[in-house]
Amino acid sequence: MFSTPGTRSRRTRGILATAAATAALLALSACGSSSGVETLDESADVTITMWTGQEDSAQKYLEALADEFEQEHPNVKIDLSPGASSTEDLLQKLSAGFAGNNYPDISYAFGSWAGQLEASNRTLDITDQVADPAVKWDEFSPAARDTARPSGNKTIGFPAVVDNISLLYNKKLFDAAGVAYPTDEWTWDDFRAAAKQVSDPGQNIYGYAYSVSGSEETTWQFWPKFWQNGGEILNGDQTEATFNSKAGVDALAMLQGMAIDDKSVYLDQTDTKFGQLFASDRIGMITSGPWQLYDLGVAGTEYGVTQLPGTDGDHKTVSGADIWALFDHKDANKAHWAFEFTNWLTQAEQDEQWNVAYGNLPLRASEIDSPAFQEQAAKLPGLTVMAANAVNAEIARPTLPGYVGLSEAVGQAISEVLQGKGEPDAALDAAVEKANKALAED
Amino acid sequence: MSVPKAVFSGRPATFAASSAVGGSAPAKTAGPPPAGGPAGGGPRRRRRRLLQSLEGWGFVGPALVIVLGLSIFPAVWAFFLSLQKWDGFSDPKFLGAGNYREMLADGELGGAVLHTVVYTVLFVPSSVLLGLFLAVALNRRIRFIGLYRTAIFVPFVASAAATGILTTYLFSPQFGLFNNILRVLNMPQQGWLEDPGQAMIVITIMSLWGQAAFTTVIYLAALQDVPGDLLEAARIDGASSWQTFWRVVFPQLAPVTVFVAIWQTIQAIQLFDLVYTTTRGGPLNATETIVYFLWQAAFKNLQFGYGSAVAYGLFGATLLITIGVVLYSRRTKMEAF
Repeated sequence: MFSTPGTRSRRTRGILATAAATAALLALSACGSSSGVETLDESADVTITMWTGQEDSAQKYLEALADEFEQEHPNVKIDLSPGASSTEDLLQKLSAGFAGNNYPDISYAFGSWAGQLEASNRTLDITDQVADPAVKWDEFSPAARDTARPSGNKTIGFPAVVDNISLLYNKKLFDAAGVAYPTDEWTWDDFRAAAKQVSDPGQNIYGYAYSVSGSEETTWQFWPKFWQNGGEILNGDQTEATFNSKAGVDALAMLQGMAIDDKSVYLDQTDTKFGQLFASDRIGMITSGPWQLYDLGVAGTEYGVTQLPGTDGDHKTVSGADIWALFDHKDANKAHWAFEFTNWLTQAEQDEQWNVAYGNLPLRASEIDSPAFQEQAAKLPGLTVMAANAVNAEIARPTLPGYVGLSEAVGQAISEVLQGKGEPDAALDAAVEKANKALAED
Repeated sequence: MSVPKAVFSGRPATFAASSAVGGSAPAKTAGPPPAGGPAGGGPRRRRRRLLQSLEGWGFVGPALVIVLGLSIFPAVWAFFLSLQKWDGFSDPKFLGAGNYREMLADGELGGAVLHTVVYTVLFVPSSVLLGLFLAVALNRRIRFIGLYRTAIFVPFVASAAATGILTTYLFSPQFGLFNNILRVLNMPQQGWLEDPGQAMIVITIMSLWGQAAFTTVIYLAALQDVPGDLLEAARIDGASSWQTFWRVVFPQLAPVTVFVAIWQTIQAIQLFDLVYTTTRGGPLNATETIVYFLWQAAFKNLQFGYGSAVAYGLFGATLLITIGVVLYSRRTKMEAF
């Protein structure tokens, strides 16, 4: 094939145009970066962008607080938006934002993302600032504080929302089966026996429910019993998974006995259905958190709440702590006001107007006696028990980046065993192998 | 004459040489003179040519930017991603073919491939046959034919999300319609979407319900193209209607069948939405397809590099299948493409 001068020139022009278009695209993606000021000027005008990950009423509470802060500090403007269509999508948005150099100053983040966010090297380190006694950092639960300090080296933000799982029981089904309500002195044996008594396979009524989707919902429900047995998820220097210890095998064997032998467990493939079935009097007990209470109130379910069953008087629970992550824009003013606003937002007086008003648990232990919380607790029976259960949230889930892979491996093992496709020890051994691979990669 | 001109206008010598080697007279005269060459005309003419080409690019530009920006650029970028290990947050690490090597040893991906193949084998032949059957049934003049055709087409328009929600209602083991029917008939209860052995079959049934309209419409159009005189000739020769269909009509439909089969195969290999809205790959990964696997790898586990590598693997497989079928149909002169 040969080309005439004419076609060649046309083709060259085509290539040039392509190159120009590509360059334009790259330029588009690169814009948005800004060089910030190095020395702090507290009176300079500054705009703080915040992605809240909240919607509807939760977002309104935050907007009201942001307005209040703007009035107190007229030079600060807080640009508040949900950031993404769902909280889960924030991670992708942040990742895209980092790639395009266009990310917020403050973002809501699930606790499990903390390690990844720190690894991005785009977060602020506020360790020195939160040491100030005025911040009252020690009022946050230990699990929440650890989540904001993923690797232990940097404090990348403030706790935003905390919760933990408690035992919820359906009074109607317990009455119908003639079984005494759970107490705060229950052991897991009491729990298993009651689940079996409440179950009625002919009527499609189950004593307990467990998600077998293999997601983090499957995994985190497993940790309380595991920790109570004395288990540790990772070894001392956080390089290898150790959940296939006797503690893990025993915990999984108990669930296996309930699901396979007793047939008292509704195995939920979806993470969400069991809550609805509990609300409509099909399931006797679930282990869940404050987010369930509102729906139960709407459905008119007669329920009670107590702490999780224990092992030798130990009632450890698992806590989910989400954080306000603070990001570095190499701008002293932005960093200052991002910290100041988040600090102000998480103080007890403000937290009562948002977390407590919305029906979440209070961030700080000092808020439990406040009138605002008492008022909420009257509307959502059981909320006080859940708030008090925070003292049982002694251990935080690992927040290093490899936890995502570890969680998937554990969730998979639990799902297999509960559905009769494996034995606890072999399944957990296989999961440890997979988890170690995930941990080694990060 | 043309060689010095090319050299004069500053073009590379190799190019001038190739032009000289090729040097056939018509090509030289047919090609327009070089835009930048002084021998090509005065500055006014040059400006007009520039204006003309700008005008052309002005028309093509917007579409070009969209195609480049939304298809070509991400595709190229995804290829570079597939050579890296990147979680979207830390610095990417170059792995070369590492991700592709990992793919070969990944048991879960192997499972996903197997599930996809099973689904494709279940779905493609049944959707083609069902489409053919429905098209023949609808290709006649009866009362309310418009109503029937619409009824067949409605599920195709419904979004996969709606189909998925409907599926979970119909096939819920505890409260679903199908198990209630079985209960009334005193038949054993089934696990449906919660039984690893049945879940893929349920998904196939629901995709058939949603997708059969597509093959039906294509076949309906093709049936109306079958020449009437052929059918008449067959009838005169004493063929039964069964014989007429299989010996006369069906061969006429061969190119359409090839097209529909390829199209449905590509659709089947890319199954994602119905899985996402019903089982999320469960129970026990029994419905995890390749695309669901790569979505999970990239967007849930943040292994963007590995996810891209799987996507490129899938692209390669789809390309091979398509090339294979096109070559086959060319050789057998079916002219599907």
